[in-house]
Amino acid sequence: MQPNKFFNYSFLMFIDSILYSYAQIFFSNRRWLGALILLVSMLMPTLGLMGLLGVIISNVSAAVLKFDSVKIRSGFYGFNGILFGAAIAYFYPLDLFLLMLIPIFVIITFFISSVLEHYLASSFNLPGLSLPFIVSLYIFLIFLTNYPQFIHQRLVFPYDTYISWIPNSIQLYFKSISLIIFQPGVLSGIIIAIGVLIFSRVLFTLSIISYLVSILFLNFLLPQAADNLIIVVGFNAILTSFALGGSLILPSKKSFVLVLISSIIVVIFTGFFYKLFSTSVLPILVLPFNFIVLSVIYSLKFRKEQSDLVLLYFSPGSPEENLYYHNNRSTRFDRFKYFFPELPFYGEWYVSQGFDGQYTHKDKWRFAWDFIVVDENKTQFSNDGNKLNDYYCFKMPVSSVLDGKVVKVIQSIPNNEVGEVNLDKNWGNTIIIDHGEGLLSATSHLDPDTIKVKENDYVLKGDVIGTCGNSGRSPYPHIHFQFQITDKVGDKTYLFPFAHFIEKHDDKLVAKSFDYPKQDTIIQNIVVNKSIKKAFNLKLGDKYDINFELNGKKFQESWEVKVDIYNLLYIENDKHDIAYIYLTEKVFYFSNYTGTKKSALYHYFLSAYQVPLCYSEQLVWEDEYAPSQVLGTSVRFLSEFFLSFKYFIQAKANFSFTQSEDSSTSFNIKNIISVYGSGFLSFYKKEYRCNVDISDAGYLDSYSVTDNKDYKFSAKILLSNGE
Amino acid sequence: MTSKKRYERPVVTKHYSGFMNKIGTSSFSKPMKEIDGVQVTELVEKFGSPLFIISERRIRQNQRNAYRIFKTRYPKVQFAWSYKTNYLNAVCSVFHQENSWAEVVSEFEYDKARALGIKGDNIIFNGPDKNKSALIKAIKEKSKIHIDHFDELYDIIEICDSENLRAKVAIRVNMDVGVYPKWDRFGFNYENGEAWQAIKRIVSNKNLELIGLHTHIGTYMMSTEAYRIAASKLASLARSIKEQFEIIIEYIDLGGGFASHNTLLGQYLPAEETIPSIDQFADAISSGLFELNFRQDELPFLILETGRALVDDTGYLVSTVLANKRLSDGKKALIIDAGVNILFTGFWYKHKITPAQDCGLHTEEAAIFGPLCMNIDVVRESITLPLLKKGDRVVIEYVGAYDMTQWMQFITLRPNVVMIMEDGSVELIRQAETLEYITQRELIPEKLKSKS
Repeated sequence: MQPNKFFNYSFLMFIDSILYSYAQIFFSNRRWLGALILLVSMLMPTLGLMGLLGVIISNVSAAVLKFDSVKIRSGFYGFNGILFGAAIAYFYPLDLFLLMLIPIFVIITFFISSVLEHYLASSFNLPGLSLPFIVSLYIFLIFLTNYPQFIHQRLVFPYDTYISWIPNSIQLYFKSISLIIFQPGVLSGIIIAIGVLIFSRVLFTLSIISYLVSILFLNFLLPQAADNLIIVVGFNAILTSFALGGSLILPSKKSFVLVLISSIIVVIFTGFFYKLFSTSVLPILVLPFNFIVLSVIYSLKFRKEQSDLVLLYFSPGSPEENLYYHNNRSTRFDRFKYFFPELPFYGEWYVSQGFDGQYTHKDKWRFAWDFIVVDENKTQFSNDGNKLNDYYCFKMPVSSVLDGKVVKVIQSIPNNEVGEVNLDKNWGNTIIIDHGEGLLSATSHLDPDTIKVKENDYVLKGDVIGTCGNSGRSPYPHIHFQFQITDKVGDKTYLFPFAHFIEKHDDKLVAKSFDYPKQDTIIQNIVVNKSIKKAFNLKLGDKYDINFELNGKKFQESWEVKVDIYNLLYIENDKHDIAYIYLTEKVFYFSNYTGTKKSALYHYFLSAYQVPLCYSEQLVWEDEYAPSQVLGTSVRFLSEFFLSFKYFIQAKANFSFTQSEDSSTSFNIKNIISVYGSGFLSFYKKEYRCNVDISDAGYLDSYSVTDNKDYKFSAKILLSNGE
Repeated sequence: MTSKKRYERPVVTKHYSGFMNKIGTSSFSKPMKEIDGVQVTELVEKFGSPLFIISERRIRQNQRNAYRIFKTRYPKVQFAWSYKTNYLNAVCSVFHQENSWAEVVSEFEYDKARALGIKGDNIIFNGPDKNKSALIKAIKEKSKIHIDHFDELYDIIEICDSENLRAKVAIRVNMDVGVYPKWDRFGFNYENGEAWQAIKRIVSNKNLELIGLHTHIGTYMMSTEAYRIAASKLASLARSIKEQFEIIIEYIDLGGGFASHNTLLGQYLPAEETIPSIDQFADAISSGLFELNFRQDELPFLILETGRALVDDTGYLVSTVLANKRLSDGKKALIIDAGVNILFTGFWYKHKITPAQDCGLHTEEAAIFGPLCMNIDVVRESITLPLLKKGDRVVIEYVGAYDMTQWMQFITLRPNVVMIMEDGSVELIRQAETLEYITQRELIPEKLKSKS
C-alpha cells in the first residue's frame, strides 16, 4: 500500500469509527444516523465537543493499543466515550482542570468497557450496553466529591422557549429521547426521533408505545410527577424498548408484549434506584435500562425452546433487517439437516402410501413411504397384473439413500404371489443401514435373490443394495422405506426428509429441498448436469470480471470467492459488497447479501438465488426473498410500523429453465421475482425478470434483470475462473 | 332400418385334416375400422388413398415407457431420436418434446435438426460420411461428433488446428458380441485394438475432448445378451480411459437396434412371441453397465438411439383395393394402390394387414401386389385375408419406421401423411406430392424444348 492510500484508508476508518459510535447509541449501524446525532449534539457545542472528544480518545486509544480494527470501526469501543464526555459537560461547567481530567477518564472508560464487554460476553454471552459508561461516570463523580469546588449543575437550554406551543407531554417525549445523548432539549429530540423513524419504523413505534405506557403507569402511581422524573423514566423506557423489542430481540408479538411489561418495570426500577441513590451524588441515568435489559436477556437464555423471542444471533442491522433476515433464513434453511439423503431408487417412482397412510403407516410407523413404479396412466403393471413380472417396479434396483454401514440383512423370505401377504414375517426381506450420528434407514419387501450387500458392508449413497420384491406383507411388489434410530427390523419410524428431489406434475417438474414426498406423487432424484454444476460450484479464490450496464450507464466490477471464519463461502466484489453462498451437492443457494443494490453482485444474487445443479426444460422451482432484499420496496416502510405483528410485503422467486435461441449459451435460467403487498398494501405489485446464461462449457456468460417498465440491468462476464 | 348386408363373392375353401375344426383358425383379427378413435374411411375420404397415418399418442406412450424402463434401471438416461428412422418434422418434434435429443447421420439430417430448433450440443452426429463443411459447422455448434474412422479423426484434428476450434468427440466402437452378421464396418474395432488407438490419439490432442463411447451392434437385434456384452465392453473401455488418462467420459451410447414387433419375412412365429421386450434389453444393458464401478457422481449417461422400437407401431398405411385377379396357378391376387415404393419395409417384413371395413368369416390365400407396373412390386407373396373387392380398404400396420424415409417417388406420387393428435384431431403433416413439386428441380436444355 502506498503511504497516501494508507493515510486515506486510515482516515476513512477513523471517520467511520466516530460515526458508527454515535449510531451505536441508538442500536444502529448506519453512518448517516451517526452523523445526524453528532450534528444534533452540536446544538449544545460544549456537550457536543466533549462527546466528540470522548469518542476520538476512546477510538484512538483502542487503535494505538491494537484492538480489533473491525470492532473499533463498528463503534464498539467508542459509544461509551461519547456518553462519558457528554455527561461530564452536562454535569459540570468546563474548566482547564476538567479538560485535563476528561481524557484520562475517557481512557479509564475505555478500559472498563473493554473489560466489561469481554467479561459479560465471555461469561454470560451478554452485550455490555452502556454499563461501562455508568461505572466510570460514578467513579468520576465520587472522585470529584473530594474537591468541593466541583458542584455539578444543570445547564439551561435557551431554545426550549420558542417551541413551547407543543404540549408539555409531547415535549417530554422528545426531551426523553434527546436526554439519551444528554441534550434535554425538544428540538434535538425531534431531530433524533425523525432519524430513528427513518432508520427503523419498529424502533420509532416502540419508543412512543413504551414512553406512553411508562408515563401512564408513573402517573397512576405518582400523579404530578416532576418533569425530571418523567424524562428519566421515559428515556429508560425508550432504550429498554429498543433493546427488547427490536434490537437485541427480534420484533414479534411476544417481544411487543415484553416491551409493554418492561416499560412498567422501568418505572419500578427507576423508583428503586432513585431511593437507593437519594443520599449519594450519583444520578440514575441509564442504570434501570442496563439492569432490566441485561437481566431479561440473560434469563431468556435458560429457556428450553428458543423459537420465539429470538435473541439476535448475527451481526445486527436494523430491527427490520434482522427480522427479515431471520425469517428468510428460517423459511429457507431451517429444515436443512446435516445429512443429505436421496431417494432409494433410480428413475421415477410413485408414492403409493405416504405419512399417516391409509393402510399400514400409522402410529409408530407413520413416517414411512411405500414406493412403486407406474406408467403414464398411473397403472402399476402391464398385461393383466397377475404375475409379479407384470409389475413395473418388480426387480428394479433399490439404492442406499446415504453412505453407511449395512447392519442388518434379512433375505430368506420368498416373494408372495400377487395378492397374497405374508403376515408372519410381515417386513419381508429388509436391509438396515447405519448412516452414523444415530440415523438409520430400513428398506423392506426386497427380492430375496438379488440382495447385493452383506452385514458389515460399507455402501455409498446411490449404490444398488438389492431390488424391489414382494416379500412380507406385500400383496403387490413395492418397497417400504423408513428412517429409524435403531437397527431393529420394524422399529418406530423417525421423521427425516430427503435432501433434494423432483416432484412430477402434469405439465412440469418441481424441485424440492429437504421435503417429505407426498402420497400419490411421482418423484425422482436430481441428476446433476456437469455444465451447470461447473458454473455454480464456486471455489475459494475464483475470480470474475464483469462489465455491466445499469439503466444506461456502464460500469465494471470484479468479484472474488472467499471464505469466512465460520467456513461460509461468499463472493465479495471490489466495493466490499458480500453475497453469501450455500452450496450442497445438488443445489446452489445465495443465503444473504449485504451491500449496495447497484452492484453487479447484487443483481447476480437476485438472479441466481437458488439453482438446482441439473437441467430439464420442464423444471420449475420457487424461493422466497426477504422484502428488504429485493429492489424498490420502499412501500414496505409503511408496513414496518406493524412489523411486530404481520408481514405485509412478500417477495417470491419463480424459476425455470428456458431454451435459448442463442447458440453460444446452452442453459438459461429464468427467474420472475414478484413482489406484492397484502392487507392495506394489497394494491402494491411489482415484477422483475431475471435471466442467467450459462455456456455449455460451464461458465457464467451473462445475466440480466429488468422490470416491465424502465429498469434495465445487464451484465457480461469477461473473465470467469481465469478463462 | 337394417343396413343392406354386404355381398361377398362365393369362395371354395379347401379343407385340411389335422385342424381343430373344419374351418381352421381365424388368421386375421377384427377389421380395423378406426385408429385412435378416428374412422379410417373418413380419413381416406378426406385425405385420399393411399394414406400414411401416425399416432401422436402412441409415440409419446412409447417414448415415456422407454424412459421409464431404462431410468428405473440406470440413473442417468438420455434418448436421442434417430432421424433416419423417421424424420418428418412433426414426428421429430414429438420426440423432442419428450426430451429426446437428435441423432443424425448426414449433413442433411443435421440441418434438419437445427432447423427444428435443436441446439448443437443436443445433436449426436453419427455416420461414416461427414464432409468438411458439415464438420466445421458441427464443431462450431458444439454438437457431439461420433468419429467413425481414422480419416475422419484426421479431418477433425486438421479443422480444429486451422480454425482454432475445440471439438467434443466420441468414438464409435464395433465389437464381437456373439451375433451374426458382425457389424464391423462402422467405427473402430474393439478386439484388434483400433478403438484404443483412436482413444489415445484423441486424448493426446489438446483440441479434442473425448466425451463418450458409442456402439451400435446391429439392427432388429433379437438377442439381449449381445447388448449386455456390448455394454460391459464399453464399460471396461470407460474404466481404462479413467485409469489411464484420468478422463471421466460423459456418456456411453449403446445405439439402437432393438427389434420392433414387425415379423421378418423368414420368421415363422409372430414377432410378439419371439422378440425380447424393451424391459429385457434394458435389463441386459444395465447389468453390463454395472461393471463400470464408478462413483455415483461419475457415472456416465446412458444414451439410446432407439428408432424402430419407438416408432414402428405408431404408423399405419391405409390402401385401397384396385382389383382382384386369378394367377396362372389358380392363386388369388389382390392389387392395391400402395406399392413397394412407399412400403419399402415390405421387402423384409410380413406386415400385419387388416381390412378396414366389416367382412365375412371366410378367408382365402392371396398375393398382394402394388400398383406399379414393375414385377418387383410385391407387397406380400401370400397372405390369408377375407374376401375383398374393388374399393375396399386395408390397413397396413407397423409402418412408422423407415417407410417414410426410404420411400421413393417412383411412377406415382407419394401420398399425404397425417397425424392423429392426442386430442383426436387430425393434422396433415406432409402434403401429397404434385407434378410441380417433382418437376420444379428439373431443367430442360434449350434445344430440347418443344416448339408449339
